[in-house]
Amino acid sequence: MAFFEVRGLTVSYRRNGIPFEPFNGISFELSEGQVADLVGPSGSGKSSLLCACARLLPRASGALSLKGVDAGSLSPEEWRRRVCYVPQKPTVIPGTVRDNLLLPWSLRVRRSDDPPSDEALRSLMGEASLGDVGLDRDAAQLSGGELARVALLRAFATKPDVLLLDEVDAALDDGTARSVSRLTRRLVRDSTTCLRIRHRPPDGAADRTLKLERGKITQLDHVEEGA
Amino acid sequence: MDAGVIDIGYLELFGAAAFMLVAAVVAWSLRLRQTKAIVVATARCFLQLLAMGLLLVYLFKYQSWWLVCLVLVGMALAATQIAMGRVKGKALRIWPEVFGSIFLSSMIVAFTVVEAIVHASPWYDARVLVPISGMVLGNTLSATAVAIDRLFSDMDARSDEIMAYLALGSTPREAAFPSIRSAIGSGLTPALATMSAAGIVQIPGMMSGQVLAGADPMIAAKYQIVVLLMISAATTLAIVAICFTTYRKRFTPDGCFLSPALRDEQ
Repeated sequence: MAFFEVRGLTVSYRRNGIPFEPFNGISFELSEGQVADLVGPSGSGKSSLLCACARLLPRASGALSLKGVDAGSLSPEEWRRRVCYVPQKPTVIPGTVRDNLLLPWSLRVRRSDDPPSDEALRSLMGEASLGDVGLDRDAAQLSGGELARVALLRAFATKPDVLLLDEVDAALDDGTARSVSRLTRRLVRDSTTCLRIRHRPPDGAADRTLKLERGKITQLDHVEEGA
Repeated sequence: MDAGVIDIGYLELFGAAAFMLVAAVVAWSLRLRQTKAIVVATARCFLQLLAMGLLLVYLFKYQSWWLVCLVLVGMALAATQIAMGRVKGKALRIWPEVFGSIFLSSMIVAFTVVEAIVHASPWYDARVLVPISGMVLGNTLSATAVAIDRLFSDMDARSDEIMAYLALGSTPREAAFPSIRSAIGSGLTPALATMSAAGIVQIPGMMSGQVLAGADPMIAAKYQIVVLLMISAATTLAIVAICFTTYRKRFTPDGCFLSPALRDEQ
């Protein structure tokens, strides 16, 4: 039984009024604790694939399952609690850094869970080179790179089963991107599986690389430089 | 009381249409291309108000509960049509929700006022119920249109934030809530501004009408206070109802957000 399985997934919608089908009937599996990179040319549907895996885009057909549990048997909120998508553009809510990191615990789906302590949050921030940023800092005063990392840590802190990262290191400098890669790798060791879209050169964190092109997904034997 | 009413002759009434020349001259000199709209609005104002006057004369004479209720439903349908016209750029299929919000909120408040404050007898007394309902409907339609416009504009502007909320496991309602709050706030503003300005900046319509009709100014003031309070209550009910019944139009049944790019409205 695959940890995370996508079978015959087709997404079809109208984009700006024009029918658009980025891919048709694609299938793949991810194992537990695996980091996989998703590469492919711009416009090939990589972001749509990640959104569809998180049930943020309506599926035309196909099935998703996590640990053998079909997506249809869970509410969209419960599914997204386990399969968490982090968009490329970081979004923060008005308030402090703490408010942003604890946002998931203000939502109904996690209201009965205990939120992480300040100590745990500081430790997480330290690992993402955000040790100098206090939890009481106004999120509106953060730089673009800091915002990207706070949005990323917010998802990391929820410890989802599957983490879908949509080019989250696009706005980061090389050094910070490396620290985010290390953080991703460490979190994955704590039993999270990760599928990430990257346009940077390989960082050694991925166990495998999938390529989405012309609506088909293939596994690359050798990671293409800058693919 | 009628002894104090100064009637307006039809010659003077139609002569008053000359006031619209001010708007016509401005439209012509600035090439606003609104000459037709000015003529149509003026004609509608005359026709609709005179028709309403005739209808009320008939209603007061032959009033029955079903006839009064029929008129109220007709007024609510017209209010819905006008409110939908103001938000037609949003490509929304929310006619039933708009009608329900405007009609129910207005009727709940209007009947409460007629029964509990004015103590009209019978309860469907057209002389009381129709003008009060008309005032409430007119204000709820404006507030509803403002709230709908604000709700959906704000949700579009917050597309990225709504996606981020959903991705963290929020329900559509949790993701849309900041927009709902903003829309309700902006829908309430006009009613509160009118209440604040009443008696200082302006003498509101109903009080002016009663004073012109020869009523005691204190009685007119008391009526006007009740009217302003009921308008505030009705608009609040209407915009809360419309926001909570329509925000879901921007989501699929599976809770996916329909951002501007994903909507089939080009």
